[in-house]
Amino acid sequence: MKILLVEDDEPLIAVLTKSLTALHYVVDVVNDGEMGWNYGSTFEYDLMVLDVMLPKLDGVSLCQRFRSHGDTTPILLLTAQDSSTARVQGLDAGADDYVVKPFDRAELIARIRALLRRGSTNPFTSLVWGDLVLNTSTCEVTYNGQPLTLTAKEYELLELLLRDSQRVYSTDEILDRLWSSEEYPSEATVRSHVRRLRQKLAVAGAPHDLIATVHGRGYFLKALENSSTLPAATVQKSAPELCLTSVVSERFSDRRLDSQQQYLAFLNQTWTTTKPNSLNQVAMLAQTVRALHVNPLTVQQQTEAHQVAHKLAGNLGMFGLTHAMQLARQLESWLIGDAPPQSGDAALMEALAIELHQEIDNATAIQLCQLPNGHSPLLLIMDSDPNFSQSLEAIAKTRGIQTAIATTIAETEAWLRSAPRPSCSDQDPAAILLRLPLMPTQVNANGKTTVLETEPVSLVQKFAQRYPAVPILVISDRSELSDRLKIAQWGGKLLLESSAAPEQVIIALTQLLRKSHTPANVMVVDDDLDWLATLPTLLKPWGFNITTLADPQQFWTVLQTVLPDVLVLDVNMPQINGFELCQILRSDPQWQRLPVLFLSVRTDFNSQNQAFTVGADDYLCKPVVGVDLANRILHRLQRVQAWSS
Amino acid sequence: MTTRRILIIDDEETIQTVVQFGIKMTAGWDVLTASSGSKGIQTAQTEQPDAILLDVMMPEMDGIATFKALQSYPETEQIPVILLTAKAQAAEKRQFNDLGVSGVITKPFNSLDLPDQIARILHW
Repeated sequence: MKILLVEDDEPLIAVLTKSLTALHYVVDVVNDGEMGWNYGSTFEYDLMVLDVMLPKLDGVSLCQRFRSHGDTTPILLLTAQDSSTARVQGLDAGADDYVVKPFDRAELIARIRALLRRGSTNPFTSLVWGDLVLNTSTCEVTYNGQPLTLTAKEYELLELLLRDSQRVYSTDEILDRLWSSEEYPSEATVRSHVRRLRQKLAVAGAPHDLIATVHGRGYFLKALENSSTLPAATVQKSAPELCLTSVVSERFSDRRLDSQQQYLAFLNQTWTTTKPNSLNQVAMLAQTVRALHVNPLTVQQQTEAHQVAHKLAGNLGMFGLTHAMQLARQLESWLIGDAPPQSGDAALMEALAIELHQEIDNATAIQLCQLPNGHSPLLLIMDSDPNFSQSLEAIAKTRGIQTAIATTIAETEAWLRSAPRPSCSDQDPAAILLRLPLMPTQVNANGKTTVLETEPVSLVQKFAQRYPAVPILVISDRSELSDRLKIAQWGGKLLLESSAAPEQVIIALTQLLRKSHTPANVMVVDDDLDWLATLPTLLKPWGFNITTLADPQQFWTVLQTVLPDVLVLDVNMPQINGFELCQILRSDPQWQRLPVLFLSVRTDFNSQNQAFTVGADDYLCKPVVGVDLANRILHRLQRVQAWSS
Repeated sequence: MTTRRILIIDDEETIQTVVQFGIKMTAGWDVLTASSGSKGIQTAQTEQPDAILLDVMMPEMDGIATFKALQSYPETEQIPVILLTAKAQAAEKRQFNDLGVSGVITKPFNSLDLPDQIARILHW
C-alpha cells in the first residue's frame, strides 16, 4: 500500500513516516501543495494525507483539484483548526476523513487503515486465501496455522496479491505499488522477491505455484484447488459456511460488498472443477460436429448435442463468461430440433467449437465486473414524461439495470448534492440519461403555448462535473448539427433523437456501460527497454492493462496469452521488424480486426505508407507524449467497439 | 425476512451449488436441491418447501412436465413455482404464465439477487 503525505511540519513528518513504514506502508513525502498535486496526479497512491495549511496551495484546494479531475483516491485531511466550518469545508471539497491536530497517533493510524480498507476491493482486516491468512492489524502471516517470517517487501507483495486476488499484477505494477518514487529497483528485484516468497510459502506447506506466473503478464494468486472446504454438489446445508468462517468482517454496514467478494471467491473455487467438465462438453460437441462432416446427425445425436450446448451456455452464464456463453448459445441454435444442421454447416460450427474451447481454456479467474447483474448498475433517468421513463424502467429491469427516476427539476438537483438522495439508493449512477426538453410545453393564460425549459446547458455541465466518470446520454427533440455540437460540448456522451424507442435507448446504454466497465488490454512490442518501463505509468490514468514485450520472437505466444484489444508495434527491432509482425498477425483470421498502432522513430513517408500497407490502423512518430498515445488507443478502441456492437 | 426453504430442481450440479451458496449467503435461507423432475417431486412432497425454482430444460422429464405433475398432487399443488429459463426462451414467457407458474427468472442470473427476485415475485 502506498501513501502520499503532503505536510510541511518536519517533526510530524518524521513521526508519521516512522509509524507508517513500521506497518509496511510505502510513504512518499512532499512539502507543499503544488508538489502534492504533481505527485498525486502522476503516481498511483492508495491514500493521500493532506495537511490543510500548506505552502503554495492549501490542502482543501488541493483536495478539490484532485476530485475535479476525477481522482477518487481516499483523502484524509490534517488540520489545526478545530471548527466545524473547517471540517465541513474539507468534506465538501471531497475529503473522506478529517483529523484535527493535535491528534492521537494511534487514532490517526486507525483512520488511515479504515480508509485504505474502504479503497480496497477487499474490506477485511484478515485477508484469507485457502489456508493462507494475512492479518493487516497485526501484520502476522500464517499458512495452515503456521506463522511465516517475511521481510517487509515480501509482506507487502503478498498483501498486494491478496487484496485483489482476482487480478494479475505485472512486474511494473508491482514496482509502482511497492516502491516509493525515489527508489529505482529493477524488474529482477521483483522476481527475486517473488521467488523468496514462494520458497517460504512452500516450506510452510503451500503449493509451489500458489503465486502463479502468467508469462508476459505477471503474477496472480492461483484459484484454490477443490479441497474439503468445497461443498459437494448434492443436498447439503452447512458446507458453504466453511468458506466464510475464517473471514472476519469489520464492515457490517456493507454486507452487499462482503457477500459479493465471498460469492466471487466461491465461484472461483467452483470454476476449478467446472472448467474441466465444460471442456469435456465442448469436446463432445466438437465430436458431433466432426460426425456431421461425414453424415447427417441422427435424431439422438442432435438431441444430445443440443442439451449439452444448452447446459454449457447456462453454466458459463452463471460464471459471467458472457462471450463463451454466447458461443455456446450459437452452437445451440444450430442444434435445435426442427431445422437439423447440414454437413455444409459443419465448418462454421467447428470454428465456433474451437473458439469456445479457447474461451473456456483462457478463463483462469472469474471477475466481479463480469457477473450477471453483479453490480446492478444504476441508471439515473431525468425526464418530465413519466410514461417514457416507466417504459425505460421496465426494459432496463429485464437487462439487470436498476433505475432511479427524476421527473422534476428539484428531484434532478437532489442528485447533484451529496445527500440525502430522493430514492432509497445510496449508489452513484453508472449512467445518466437526460431527455430534453425537461419541462413539458404549457399553455399560458392567453392560450399561447410556451416552453418552460430550464437551461439544460448548466444541468448537463453540472452532472458532468458532479459525476465526471459517468457517461451522459441525451435524448433530444432537436438534433440539428448545431444542437448536436452543443450537447457534445456540454459533456453529453451520446445523443439520441426523441423518436428513439425505449428498447433502443437501453441497448445504446448497455453498450455504453460495457465500454466503461472492462479495462482494455494493450500489448506493446518494442525493443527499447527504457521506453517500455515508462509505459505503464504513462498510460495508467486511462486504466489500460498494459503488457510489454521486448523480444519479438515471443510475439505469438504472448499474443495468444494476452489476447490484446489493441496492439502497439515498434518498427525497428532485431530479427523480426514491426511490419513483419503485423503481416504475421493479419495472416490469421482471428486477428483481422485487432487495432494495430505503429510507433516509430521513422518519420518518412515510405515507412508510414508501408505500415498501412501491411495492415496498420494508425502511425505515430516518436517521441510521443502519454496523453497522445492514450488518445489514439482510446479512439481505436471506441471505433472497434462501436463496430462490433 | 423470515427463514425460507427453497427447492431448486436443475440437472446441472454447478447451478445447484452456486444457487444454494448465493441464496444461503444473502438471505440465510435453506436450499434443497434435486437433479431431476422426478426427484424434485419427491423432495417437494416430503420437505414441503416454501417455493420451487425449476429449470425448464431437463432431459427425461422437462420443467413443464414436472410443473404439471406438481400441480396434480394435493401435497404440492400449493407450492409456488418459479421457472428458470434461458434468454432464448423468454419469448415463451406468456405461455409459461398461462400454465400457472408464479414467475420466470431468466438465466444467466446472479445468485445474490435471487432472494430479492423470489421475494418480489411471490410478494413475500
